[in-house]
Amino acid sequence: MGEPMERRRFLKVLGVTGGGAALLSGCGIGPEPTEKLIPYLIPPEDQVPGTPTYYATTCRECPAGCGLHAKVREGRVVKLEGNPESPINHGRLCPRGQAGLQGLYNPDRVAGPLERTGDGQWKPIAWDDAIGRVAAKVKGARGKGIVFVTGHESGAFGELVDEWMRQVGGRHVIYEPFAFEALREGNRLAFGTSAVPWYDFANARYLVSFGADFLDTWVSPVGYQNGFARAHGFQAGRDASMAKFVFVGPRLSLTGMNADEWIAAAPGTEGLLALAMASVIVRERLAPVPSDAARLASLLSRHAPAQVASAVGIEPSVIARLAREFAASKGGLAVAGGIAAQYPNGAAIVAAANILNYVAGTVGKTVKFGPNDSLGGAGAGSFQQMADLVSDMEAGKVAVLLVHGANPAHSLPGAFSQAIAKVGFKVGFSPYLDETAAAADLILPDLHPLEQWNDARPRAGLFALLQPVMQPVFPDARHTGDVLLRASGRDQTFQEYLQGRWRELHRRHGGGKSFEQFWSEALQHGGVYGEAPLQPVRLASGVAQLTATPPALAGGPGETVLTVFPSIGLYDGRGANKPWLQELPDPVSKITWHAWVEIHPATAARWGLTNGDFLLLKSPYGTVKAPVWITPGVRPDVLAAATGQGHTAYGRYAKDRSGNAFELLSSAPNGYGGRTFSVAVSVVKTGEHRRLATAEGDPRELGAHNVEVLPLGRARQLKSGERAFEEHEAPAYAERALEDWAAAQHEKASLGNYAGEHPRWGLAIDLATCTGCSACVTACYAENNIATVGEELVVRRRVMSWMRVERYYTGGEHGEPVGAVVTPMLCQQCGNAPCEPVCPVFAAYHTADGLNGQVYNRCVGTRYCSNNCPYKVRYFNWYNFAEQGGEWESWPAPLDMLLNPDVTVREKGVMEKCTFCVQRIRGAQNRARLEDRTVRDGEIVPACAQACPSEAIVFGDLHDRRSRVSELAQDPRGYHVLAGLNTKPAITYLAKVVHDG
Amino acid sequence: MAEAPAPPSRVTYDFVTRAVARTLGNPGKGYYALLGGAVGLLAIGIVCLLLLLRYGLGLAGYSHPVYWAVYITCFVFWVGIAHSGTLISAILFLFRSGWRTAVYRTAEAMTVFAVMTAGLFPLIHIGRQWYLYWLIPYPNERGLWPNFKSPLIWDEFAIGTYFTVSSVFLIMGLIPDIAAVRDVATGWRKKLYAITAVGWRGTNEQWRHYTRGYLYLAALATPLVLSVHSVVSWDFAMAIVPGWHATIFAPYFVAGAIYSGVAMVITLLVPIRKLFRLEELITGHHFENLAKLCLLTGMIVAYAYCVEYFTAWFGGNPNERAAFWYRAFGPFWWASWTMIICNAFLPQLLWFKTIRTNILALFVISIFVNIGMWFERFVIIVVSLAGEPFTTWTNATYNATWADWGIMAGSFGWFFMWFLLFVKNFPAVSISEVKEVLPPPRRASRAVHA
Repeated sequence: MGEPMERRRFLKVLGVTGGGAALLSGCGIGPEPTEKLIPYLIPPEDQVPGTPTYYATTCRECPAGCGLHAKVREGRVVKLEGNPESPINHGRLCPRGQAGLQGLYNPDRVAGPLERTGDGQWKPIAWDDAIGRVAAKVKGARGKGIVFVTGHESGAFGELVDEWMRQVGGRHVIYEPFAFEALREGNRLAFGTSAVPWYDFANARYLVSFGADFLDTWVSPVGYQNGFARAHGFQAGRDASMAKFVFVGPRLSLTGMNADEWIAAAPGTEGLLALAMASVIVRERLAPVPSDAARLASLLSRHAPAQVASAVGIEPSVIARLAREFAASKGGLAVAGGIAAQYPNGAAIVAAANILNYVAGTVGKTVKFGPNDSLGGAGAGSFQQMADLVSDMEAGKVAVLLVHGANPAHSLPGAFSQAIAKVGFKVGFSPYLDETAAAADLILPDLHPLEQWNDARPRAGLFALLQPVMQPVFPDARHTGDVLLRASGRDQTFQEYLQGRWRELHRRHGGGKSFEQFWSEALQHGGVYGEAPLQPVRLASGVAQLTATPPALAGGPGETVLTVFPSIGLYDGRGANKPWLQELPDPVSKITWHAWVEIHPATAARWGLTNGDFLLLKSPYGTVKAPVWITPGVRPDVLAAATGQGHTAYGRYAKDRSGNAFELLSSAPNGYGGRTFSVAVSVVKTGEHRRLATAEGDPRELGAHNVEVLPLGRARQLKSGERAFEEHEAPAYAERALEDWAAAQHEKASLGNYAGEHPRWGLAIDLATCTGCSACVTACYAENNIATVGEELVVRRRVMSWMRVERYYTGGEHGEPVGAVVTPMLCQQCGNAPCEPVCPVFAAYHTADGLNGQVYNRCVGTRYCSNNCPYKVRYFNWYNFAEQGGEWESWPAPLDMLLNPDVTVREKGVMEKCTFCVQRIRGAQNRARLEDRTVRDGEIVPACAQACPSEAIVFGDLHDRRSRVSELAQDPRGYHVLAGLNTKPAITYLAKVVHDG
Repeated sequence: MAEAPAPPSRVTYDFVTRAVARTLGNPGKGYYALLGGAVGLLAIGIVCLLLLLRYGLGLAGYSHPVYWAVYITCFVFWVGIAHSGTLISAILFLFRSGWRTAVYRTAEAMTVFAVMTAGLFPLIHIGRQWYLYWLIPYPNERGLWPNFKSPLIWDEFAIGTYFTVSSVFLIMGLIPDIAAVRDVATGWRKKLYAITAVGWRGTNEQWRHYTRGYLYLAALATPLVLSVHSVVSWDFAMAIVPGWHATIFAPYFVAGAIYSGVAMVITLLVPIRKLFRLEELITGHHFENLAKLCLLTGMIVAYAYCVEYFTAWFGGNPNERAAFWYRAFGPFWWASWTMIICNAFLPQLLWFKTIRTNILALFVISIFVNIGMWFERFVIIVVSLAGEPFTTWTNATYNATWADWGIMAGSFGWFFMWFLLFVKNFPAVSISEVKEVLPPPRRASRAVHA
């Protein structure tokens, strides 16, 4: 009879302990509570759970128009990669493009239409009411000023806006804060066309950039970097194998860091230098001078090296040398027109660079008019138009203002924000509550570009499509195209409108296919890629009247020139609501989450500043307070600040983060209708100090030689089979011990699944092409569910980034030229890994295919592995970054929808690290097994290698002698970081190559 | 270590028993204040620990790459403290140093409680404290064993063994004394002592077994004194971090451990002697001998410091050089110089007999040695990691937080709580062994023979 009692008692105890366990996990102690997986009731036909589908679409994070492949798992897009077919980006993607995903799933998106109530609060409103109100207001405002402001729209949506504005008697203003007006005007001055040509970096043999940051943000950075890597990368065995790159500008930007020579010309004198180079080429007849160049004679004679050298701040002989090298290369390319060099004479600088290209005979070869970029031409919008709009608004001449895809209240903070108050009715179409939307009366949230139909024409001849890659995250948001069609009384969806436009294309490019076939093929490939024919250009008639005289940028005493440049991650501020971009260390300063001012060490010493001291910058237009970052990469008489931060709205990640550099800039257009991004500032030390949220430890290598550099002459002499870097590894007895140990291990592991030969996964990273752009870093975050930790934890050095790009300054100390070297640092998957033996629980272990595996579920978090890792590439979960509602939550809903289902989200207290994207390796192996074949070389591409715009990272099997990676591992430039520790890394770095001298 | 001269004649068998038994009398306000302070500190530590469990180790000051910091510093510090106890009770017992009898009980108790304190830190510092048992080799359905190659597993065994042996040693040494106080105790204590005295009656037979057993246990404990801290040092020496990876580490750590332990014995004995009025049992002579031991081990430690820097320079390894340059002149120079001044320079004062025999001066020096030895571990652990020269990119600073200091304070509270409870409930001076070095009483005396 005792038995039932026993059982009851047992269950009671069980209940108590179970309750205790629940209590523990409720407090965040112990394992995460189990969640339920709910299968599809009726699975969609084209979705196979566990198998991703890729849709081709187009990136809209900047006007470049890169092609995308959106990886969709179970109906959710989980990663963005470049579309290999796109001639713009060749399958590569920058950090901003990849972070588009965080715009899609942004927790601060506006879920549905909102109207402002009398007391300034937002109230939801039905779509029908909202559209009715817009239509009524627009109808009532006919003749009183209707303006539709959009961002850069090169496709059907822009045309629809044009059409509608024509219909209602309004005007369409295109506003991009970085519209490259100087570039367009400079082309008009030199060649009489305001088109932006396609620059053929890949075929250039000598590059000079006059302040054009083509690796940072200039025009089409991914495509240009890809081309640059082809031209500037070192290819053994080919003659004249590496283009030389000279960067001219006051600040060592990411582009400048990759130059072989940095000429820190005085700001505004870049044009003088270009003209002086042209004059040398003409005078010394270094190139066959075109017949119409005669009209340049007087201009060029006024700009001989001796006449301009002192203004530029270099020796005349240097100018002559550059000119000779440029001409002798027979494939020179001079580019100009960067935003940071958009001075009042910015257009003249571009014209001067054009003249240099022209006299050297490179126009038509490396400078291709014809396949023009969509940023050029009259349809691209200019700052002048925006300034006119602001004065109209001030004058009360605008009754209805509609804003889509632009945030002028942030980038034109003073003028626009004051003027908008005088507009009767403001409609914002932003999916986020940005500064402009916050000032609106009605918000009609648009779909994210990944959820909508649209198209873009990134350059002449290319027609890129956007298609919805998933159901809208917020079902009550609506495509602005549909809204406009409704408001204008047309019974059509935007998809139909778009298809209507494409029927026209079909007539021209259809090639005999039916429209349906043409359309679905275009959708599959991401668009239609044609080539526009080259158009010859001649010198414009007025070119001889060019004045490249530098403007007086800083006049008064105590004034310094501040150059404002676009942030690589945040661009004009639109990236600021994406934690990946906020936490991405700026490729130059390595600062995250806040703004900074760059200052030369000598200036800092004179002013008594250390890193993190606050400066109050005062320009005639505004004041901004920002901490200084001391860098040798800026002229001593120049300060530099990035745009992007300083939002007063725009969601939790963007709001209230330091100062907005736009506030210092004039809101009046300059002589060529553009904005001047340099301004004279006076500087006040505030006495405040902060620790910079930086990823930088020591900015110099201090003799560590983790980044090896070879002079070009030496690199050319290297023969196959040679090694430029001798590696003293272990003594012979240690080698033998290691081999015995490996044999024993192999024997132990030769059972079951481990029987047979295994690959040895390896990576080769070519530092000759790596620019430090950090696309790999964001790719790694996206692929591997890496937590973003926020500003406070970055300050405490707890960034989780498995892939980091180390940037070390070189030179600058004993009169040597200042430069920088970069290296991506990730787990080296050591063959003899120091992290493995010290783990007490085998969480760190060696896989049969040579990876340093990390079993998250087994890790107890002693952190011994990280202490023993000489590369310091293991990262610890200090908090539970996945805790919903927790203080450190990294993926607040719906941001958690972007998590990669193939990768564990790590809990607090465990160590995590790079495993060469082991989920991709296993995926490919499983596929190969199902297809009864072996894994092909190149089939497995880790996320970092996939994203790299330079194609600097190659992955493969080192045991396969014919694989690309084993070929590269044998490269004479190859070396291993810290080889002397006998860790036997699986990553071979190929030394950077620099031009001699 | 000279043989102890006979204590003053007033100290008789009877006096010893009474003097020691008096320490077990009703505690005064001072005792409760101290105990309250210790429990208060412990409470702070417990609150910090609970917060740590709830939110994660991020509350502590760790940065990348300083993944070990104050907690491991405290761990090594407390393990170090634990060393002198066994040295004094076992090694000096084997060497027949008579002076140890008055101080060894305190030292031994300190050892056990210090190991108990040290043992908490590996639990506190790991990321998933609730899986600590995975480090223990136990049969399980997954067939998973700990990695015996990992020095952390060696640690676990070394510390576990040391804790077992030192507690057995302490408890065994207590038996005759407990029996002595059992005979005068009343109330619940009588019951406690009756049980813990395990039927000791002081018969010849019992004494014969007891002294033999004690001798063997002393012999067993002796190698542990050397092994435990050697193994702890291998946590560092087996790693490749410049500043850790050195063959000198085992003797260096053992010497440092004994050094810090002796200093801690002095720090504890001075107030106990005062509080419990044991001046006649624990005399200046004892302190002088402790001071000499302190000086000896301090010299070894100072020598080790010199050797560390010398080999870093002479070895010519650029990483070693960079690491030691960073240690002495980097951002943590203050920690390194605190350690060198406290551990290598200040104890040189002990060459002077006037200082060795000045209890107050000894007390002050011992506290500085404690501070210096804490900083030694801090410098080795934190500074080596923060300035690791392999990749200068990751060099980082480190700032301890309230969670670090709170748990460290809690560890002192935990240690002193046990220590205070011990000295009030068990004889803090060995009655039986002190009597061994006294002239035996005449038959007429009615001393209670333990």
